[in-house]
Amino acid sequence: MTLETVGFWVVATVLLASSLAVVLTPNLFHAVLYLAAALVATGVVFLLLEQPFLFAVQLLLYAGGVVTIVVFAIMLTERLVGERIAQTSRHVVNGAIVAAAVFVGIVGFLIGAPLGAPRPAETGDTTAAIGRALVGPFAVTLELLGVLLVVALLGALHFARSEE
Amino acid sequence: MAPSVWLPLLVLGLPFVAFVLLAVVAPLRRVGPRAGLVSIGAIALAFGAALTVWTEGFVSETTWAWIPADGGPIATVGLLVDPLSNAMLVLVTLVSLLVQIYSLAYLGDERPASLGRYYTYQSLFAFSMLGLVLAPGFLQMFVFWELVGLCSYLLIGYWYERPAAARAAVKAFWITKLGDVGFIIGIVLLWSATGTFEFTDLFEKAQEHALAIPGLPTIMFLIYLGAVGKSAQFPLHVWLPDAMEGPTPVSALIHAATMVTAGVFMVTRTEPLFALVPEVLTLIAWVGAFTALLAATMACVEADIKRVLAYSTISQLGYMMAAAGAGAAFAGFLHLLTHGLFKALLFLAAGAVIHAVGTNDIFRMGGLFRAMPQTGIVFVVGTLALAGVPPLAGFYSKEAVLGGVWEAHLTGPFLMLALTVLLTAFYMFRVVFIAFFGRAHAAAHPHEAPWLMRGPLWVLAALTVLVGVRLALGGAEGHEETPAWLAPLSVGLALVGFALAWAMYQRRAIDPARIAAALAPIDYLARRRYGLDALYAGLYRGFILGFSRLVGWIDRYLVDGVLNVLTALTLRGGDALRRIQSGRAQDYVYGVAFGLLLLIVGAQLWR
Amino acid sequence: MIGLPAYLVLGALVFSIGLFGVLTRRNAVGILLGIELMLNAVNINLVAFARFNGDVAGLVFTLFTISITVAEVAVGLAIVIAIFRVRRTVEADRLDLLRG
Repeated sequence: MTLETVGFWVVATVLLASSLAVVLTPNLFHAVLYLAAALVATGVVFLLLEQPFLFAVQLLLYAGGVVTIVVFAIMLTERLVGERIAQTSRHVVNGAIVAAAVFVGIVGFLIGAPLGAPRPAETGDTTAAIGRALVGPFAVTLELLGVLLVVALLGALHFARSEE
Repeated sequence: MAPSVWLPLLVLGLPFVAFVLLAVVAPLRRVGPRAGLVSIGAIALAFGAALTVWTEGFVSETTWAWIPADGGPIATVGLLVDPLSNAMLVLVTLVSLLVQIYSLAYLGDERPASLGRYYTYQSLFAFSMLGLVLAPGFLQMFVFWELVGLCSYLLIGYWYERPAAARAAVKAFWITKLGDVGFIIGIVLLWSATGTFEFTDLFEKAQEHALAIPGLPTIMFLIYLGAVGKSAQFPLHVWLPDAMEGPTPVSALIHAATMVTAGVFMVTRTEPLFALVPEVLTLIAWVGAFTALLAATMACVEADIKRVLAYSTISQLGYMMAAAGAGAAFAGFLHLLTHGLFKALLFLAAGAVIHAVGTNDIFRMGGLFRAMPQTGIVFVVGTLALAGVPPLAGFYSKEAVLGGVWEAHLTGPFLMLALTVLLTAFYMFRVVFIAFFGRAHAAAHPHEAPWLMRGPLWVLAALTVLVGVRLALGGAEGHEETPAWLAPLSVGLALVGFALAWAMYQRRAIDPARIAAALAPIDYLARRRYGLDALYAGLYRGFILGFSRLVGWIDRYLVDGVLNVLTALTLRGGDALRRIQSGRAQDYVYGVAFGLLLLIVGAQLWR
Repeated sequence: MIGLPAYLVLGALVFSIGLFGVLTRRNAVGILLGIELMLNAVNINLVAFARFNGDVAGLVFTLFTISITVAEVAVGLAIVIAIFRVRRTVEADRLDLLRG
């Protein structure tokens, strides 16, 4: 058992456990914290796949930014509603069946797919390659993404602005 | 254009101009009597022109293409002017003129707008009838044939606010239509066999024996059906008595003198064609004679003066048809002309009586001769003419008819017609004795009609006498020799009828009730119009109403039912499908998930 | 060595868990958390494929996904707050004005 194998199983276990916790815990605030854990675990999966740059982005943007926003939102609504937001679930059995069916479907699809290729060795600096790709073939997409972020920012401002 | 063309055209055109004027210019129509003057002026001029045409003896045929086609027009319109149409022109315009003048007084109490409407119809009728008379072919004849039918409908239903009048108008229209269907089918069949509507073409073909087409008897029978409806022959005669719901002048003009004779005129006009089919002719004679007898028996038990005259008209039409069927079309046509005069006279006199007494029931009249002697005299003149007493007009024409039927060796029809002579005299004098000579009713104070009404009466009475004298002196051209015993026989029969009526209703030597009891079955049947009206009503209710109900039921329950079920299903389906749209975003995510599953499964299956 | 299928199955599992969350959570914020999980699963898939196929495009896509997710979360939470202001609730079950 190599370090990577051990790491994968550990990380996978943590990821799945925290993911389940996100969807099952009754406390919304705890759910956000578990989500942060799941996001960090995902980042570790990126590390296992030898993508340190993505790991960093994941930690900074996702685990940092998203979780912070969500916490803010929860605090805000909680304050407004004046009581703890207790998380309850609806149609748990239905949801489980459908989710399981989707999972089985995807796995069934994977079984049929030709995926035998072994993992090639890492070549060169991936980060530099990503950078070149971003300003090269994906330059327009990158610009559009910038526009999207601005629009999202303005939209969020518009929605969240208190009516006065 | 020769006067032999434009004068008849003028006769035809003047009433049409009057009609258009009255129909289009509403203010003119609404003033009533003045509208009448327009119509009367037009028909008077037309009468003058017709008189010229007749005295000059114009003969011409003019046609214009109507439906153009390769190789000559399919149909033409035009004028066929010959002695036959000339005589009819004079009769139609004369009676129209007198009736329109008479109506001015008779309908004087009508609202002006209604009177304008009446004269509009009158002008249209005059135009239609003249167009029918002048028609050079079957198609134009049929068009005007239907137009006079329409005018008849409009004028019977002139007092359309009376349910009885409206019903009678519809009845007349439908029953004549029954015959007209046969007429148009016959015309079209004849056209498809010969390729022409023109009378002259057809007559030429008939003479060259080029008309030996298969089914000609059927075709001619179908054409004859039109005459059966229009001329009120058995079994389609039932509409004419009901048509008496219209104003009396209308009855005099349309339902005695002119329109109802259109059938006879048509048969006379196309006599060369009918001559080719002796079996149909025999049928026409038998039906005519039977109609004459049947209507006469019904007239004997009728109490409504106008209905008596209506049955009398049917009876006389039967005479004319019998004559046409016996091959003596000229005799029939002569009877048509004389009958047009004295029957119009009788109707107008009856109208004067009704105008004075305010009822149609002869048993509520009585002693009228003292109160209105002039009307009484002209009524008696008309009665004598109708009964066939020499030297009045009816005697000669009726004798000619009887002679023609006898010559054709149609013994059965002859016997029926001879019996009808007796009955005619009987029922007419029954009316005269009851209405004019019986005991006066104290309640009524009848008075003589105004001169506007008396004038036409006297003109017609004088003409009846004059035509009779003219016939007595010279006889008419082509007048067939009749057996010497015929004239005494017919006069004798008429005298018997007169004596019977006198004995029963004047002397009261014989109690009518006992006669009725002795002839109970006939009396019973005649009073119920031989059940024909009931039969038609039953057929109408049974078939048409039944069919209507069936259609209604199908519409209500099958068609609507299918639609209702469909709408209900759609509503239910929509209601059920609506529940899918819960409005909750998560429920829609289920849909997305199912779609994803479907995609995966599909991709697996059709890889 | 851990093969590609293991990563893909891991991604599928996380995706299904996220879907379950989206389907069952009553709170709108909870639903957003489920969506985050699903997008993460996609990211794992993208990176795994990119790594095993040696293609840098997958990595770029991952970056884009992360960025878009951030924007989505920002707008989504803003909407949640706006809805909360109007309806005084963030329970998705009660937001059924569009019910047929």
